[in-house]
Amino acid sequence: MARNDGDEPHRPAPARGRLAATVGVIGELLITAGVLMALFVVYSLWWTNVLADREAKRQSGTVRENWAKKGPGALDTKDGIGFLHVPSMRNGEVLVKSGTGGDVLNEGVAGFYRSPVKAAMPWDKSGNFTLAAHRDGHGAKFHNIDKIKTGDAVVFETRDVWYVYKVYAELKETSKYNVDVIDPVPKESGKTRPGRYLTLTTCTPVYTSDYRYIVWAELERTEKVDSERTKPKELR
Amino acid sequence: MYGWIWRHLPGNAWVRALISLVLVLAIVYALFQYVFPWAEPLLPFNDVTVDNGMAVSR
Repeated sequence: MARNDGDEPHRPAPARGRLAATVGVIGELLITAGVLMALFVVYSLWWTNVLADREAKRQSGTVRENWAKKGPGALDTKDGIGFLHVPSMRNGEVLVKSGTGGDVLNEGVAGFYRSPVKAAMPWDKSGNFTLAAHRDGHGAKFHNIDKIKTGDAVVFETRDVWYVYKVYAELKETSKYNVDVIDPVPKESGKTRPGRYLTLTTCTPVYTSDYRYIVWAELERTEKVDSERTKPKELR
Repeated sequence: MYGWIWRHLPGNAWVRALISLVLVLAIVYALFQYVFPWAEPLLPFNDVTVDNGMAVSR
């Protein structure tokens, strides 16, 4: 770049110097844009995880504390209804809260659907307990959803009950408008009768949002939570 | 551009380097704290739910 040392700015710049300076500035702008995008990737894939994991840990602590106090009365669902354990995802427990908006999911939790099809709760007699969580960033709680195979256990823990589900179908790629997958009876999974189902949804392929990845499970049994909160054998 | 900024910073090379570093950190902080959280929902990288395309499910 044509650079004088500041003290002699009045020398008329030759035409080539001006061109070189322009090219130099454009180059610097391009480099800046590249650095900005790189920083955004760092933000998306690392920093949001840091924030979300911190927030999820705090909220999980609150829920566990409330459970420990164990006052009488209905289950308090404001802070979260329970924890999802999927051993094949190897990511510990995931707090489950109400709603699938960004404000909820960005806290590093999984959310159950309220729209377009309202999720059934695990304790309902029949229906589909439908969940969504991030594949990348913001805790990336369903990052390893592709590691889940048919026959794997999915356990949902509430204050009083362990709900043990067994995965029976996966849909590796579907349209993001395919709301049928969260129907009370998800026909695409091969089921035709009402039952107690669980559906996990997230985006695929990784790092993009072009399609959705779906995993279906069906309730196998429930176990009462004992005083030590002994985990069901699937989690041991 | 950066050359122009560098020439307009006060002090010797060390002071300028220090000021530059502070400026860079301030910009990165502003990006992570304000700009990226604002921009992220506008970019199509992080939608995980199925919906009917009518509205974001909330």
